[in-house]
Amino acid sequence: MAVALLIAVGGGMAGYKSSKLGVPFWEGDQVNEWLVESRVSFLATGRDVKARLALPSIAVESGSGQESGSLDYHYNVEDDRGEYTAVWSSGAREDGQALYYRVRFKEGLNSGGEPIASVEKPKAPDVPKLPGSLGTAAQSIVTRAKNVAADPDSLFVALFEQINSGASSQEYLIVKRHYEKEGIANPNIAMGIDLLGLAGVPARPAYGVSLRDQNSGQIPVPLLEYYDGALWKVRNPANPSKILDGRELFVWHRGGGSLLDVDGGDNSRVTFTVVKDRIPLATLTDLRDSPLLVSTILALPAAERAVFRYIVLIPLGAFVVVLLRNIVGIATLGTFMPVLLALALLELPLVQGLVMFSVLVAAGLWFRFLLSRMNLLVVPRVAACVVIVTLLMMLMGVLSYQLGFSVGIKITLFPMIIIAWTLERMSLIWEEEGKRSAIVQVSGSVIVAVCAYHFMKVSQIQYWAFYFPEMLLILLAAILLIGRYTGYRLSELIRFKSFTNA
Amino acid sequence: MPDASVTSDEKTVSSEHHWWHRWFRLPGELREMGVVGINMRNARFLLPNNPRRLYELVDNKLRTKALAEEHGMNVAETYGVVRTPHDANKVDKMLNGNESFVIKPTRGSGGKGVLVIDGKNGKNFIKPSGAELTPGDLRNHVSNILAGLFSLGGKRDYALIEYRVCPAALLTAMSFQGAPDIRVVMLHGYPVMAMLRASTKESDGRSNLHQGAIGVGIDIATGITVRAIHHGNPVTTHPDLGIELIGVQIPEWDTILKMSVTCQEMTGLGYLGVDIMIDETKGPLMIEVNARPGLAIQMANGIGLMKRLEPVVEQHRLKPNADMHAKIAFSQHHFRAKLPPVRT
Repeated sequence: MAVALLIAVGGGMAGYKSSKLGVPFWEGDQVNEWLVESRVSFLATGRDVKARLALPSIAVESGSGQESGSLDYHYNVEDDRGEYTAVWSSGAREDGQALYYRVRFKEGLNSGGEPIASVEKPKAPDVPKLPGSLGTAAQSIVTRAKNVAADPDSLFVALFEQINSGASSQEYLIVKRHYEKEGIANPNIAMGIDLLGLAGVPARPAYGVSLRDQNSGQIPVPLLEYYDGALWKVRNPANPSKILDGRELFVWHRGGGSLLDVDGGDNSRVTFTVVKDRIPLATLTDLRDSPLLVSTILALPAAERAVFRYIVLIPLGAFVVVLLRNIVGIATLGTFMPVLLALALLELPLVQGLVMFSVLVAAGLWFRFLLSRMNLLVVPRVAACVVIVTLLMMLMGVLSYQLGFSVGIKITLFPMIIIAWTLERMSLIWEEEGKRSAIVQVSGSVIVAVCAYHFMKVSQIQYWAFYFPEMLLILLAAILLIGRYTGYRLSELIRFKSFTNA
Repeated sequence: MPDASVTSDEKTVSSEHHWWHRWFRLPGELREMGVVGINMRNARFLLPNNPRRLYELVDNKLRTKALAEEHGMNVAETYGVVRTPHDANKVDKMLNGNESFVIKPTRGSGGKGVLVIDGKNGKNFIKPSGAELTPGDLRNHVSNILAGLFSLGGKRDYALIEYRVCPAALLTAMSFQGAPDIRVVMLHGYPVMAMLRASTKESDGRSNLHQGAIGVGIDIATGITVRAIHHGNPVTTHPDLGIELIGVQIPEWDTILKMSVTCQEMTGLGYLGVDIMIDETKGPLMIEVNARPGLAIQMANGIGLMKRLEPVVEQHRLKPNADMHAKIAFSQHHFRAKLPPVRT
């Protein structure tokens, strides 16, 4: 009865959303739009506040939807001959402030970094003042680069290839160290601008946003804009020879000037959250006005929404655990430990994740046995395990980084407390019931975690969970049904295989 | 032995041999044999009959023992209870000269954290396996118990120090080290199935079947052992000791049945397992009551639990107020097993 009700309510809401509000039901049917949200945060110092954030002109002009969010701030967009700036102002404020500006545009739109003709011919750049030997070194770098480069484009490439490569000439190292010592945010950019200036090419910083889904809280990608004699061009110094690709990078701000100015606040910074939105803006507006409470998840700021992407996956993992424990009958260590393990695995490639987990558990277990000789009480012992697991994670992070695997760093996402408890319970079972049952239970947990991982990884399922959270009611109905299942578990068919009537 | 006991009218699909029996049984075959699975046990027998609030009575051994004594049941004498880490130093005083004893967590389950001491060698304690423990080791074990290492849900716990049961010679002969215990599973106060659990070298003094202990099915009517399994396969002799396991008369069987029924009456649990040990001098002693008895007992007896639980459900519906004697008589009459030739 309750099951039927849940299915009816969940399915009904999903159906309504899909047919009446036009939210695509299948993942393939969607319109891909990027939603880039910039978040300006600062500590107000108690004076009048004025914050100016440069905006991407291409997004503002193409009119594909922009909005701003801030409490009690006056907000307007300033238009200065095609260069747009969002301006927030307010009376005296204190404490942390957060201002949001959201813009959407279709996927595959140009990057905004296309060459543009200058309004007026830029002045010849100021020759940077570099003291003594530095100046000579810089001069000789530029001379050499000019010899191999025919035009500003190739000069740019030649200079940044040198700057980026670790093994460069003595002169590069000297100049580079000078800029790194200055404590500038982006020493490579500052150095590039000065070197280009020495070569007579005007250049200025620009900022971009990396278009990767669910990338929350990223800092602006430093870019460089230079004048090749006729046009201003934007390139990414980290990848100098590549023309900017609008599918990977979006140029947020170009044309010189600062990205963010805050009066009356300290520690100001801007971060970007990028979300690939699968629902067209028009539909979304309808959704927000519709009485479907559940859909308000889409009304959250993008950064908060990104969190929900993971939260809605947890019930899916729990469902897999229920299925595998009560229908299949796999023994696991701790009921929901596999779900957390699966969530951690989602963050990094599966195989590396499993290798990391096994190494961590094996090493941790060994330390745990050392600890058990010291006859500690239980809680201090688990706490000691947490410390050791933390140290092991750092060690693995550093080691794998040194060996050139970047996954090592992400290992920190493994739930440490869970691992510590896993170790504790595993070692107890090891002592009480023998290593066989300890290994059986840990492998059971890993198997369940891998199944849950594969289930949560299916993008159609992620899509449903996120855009149709009411479908979780159907999942709940399925869980209730399993809760009433009184048949045999698959493992029992094996357990009782030699059952014979006496 | 199983083939011999199958009579022609009982012959069914499940007793025919199929290639897949080497690997698994079909659900239909198990159902036909009346095998109860975990889901079935929980949904049909545990959850409806064992209200949560009654668990405390059996999960805490101090309360179970007190309750049992109130009902005039024999239990292992309590030497002392360690409640604080400070008391851990007083263990010697609590022992009051007894050299053999058992330390167990009051909220333990599945035999976890049970430490058996057979005697002393100077200051050291000797385990049944012959291993020695220093007083420091013992104190450490007690503090692990106090910290809740072995208790359900990791709650803080007390350590119970009690009389070490000296099992009747007949039973010690059937077990490698460790003392064999008798498990009687009850529904609504009717004994439905019983088995004896004897340890082996492999199970290291423990009586958990999945760790390699032997389960010996006992006829409810007579208390004679009828069948034995080791790792799920029928055996007739003890793998380490070579002694015959079938056809053994368990002493004081009527007392054991009465104790089991009393345990049900005093706890109010509908579905439970009662663990009993038989002491050489004191007779049957109630060791613990288990509110979630396992399913291996049906393997040991070679009979699906459902075949016994269903008649009891029906009987209980017809006569909800039957007394102890009526219940025992019903079980003895209906659950009589085909007896093996009596051992000479």
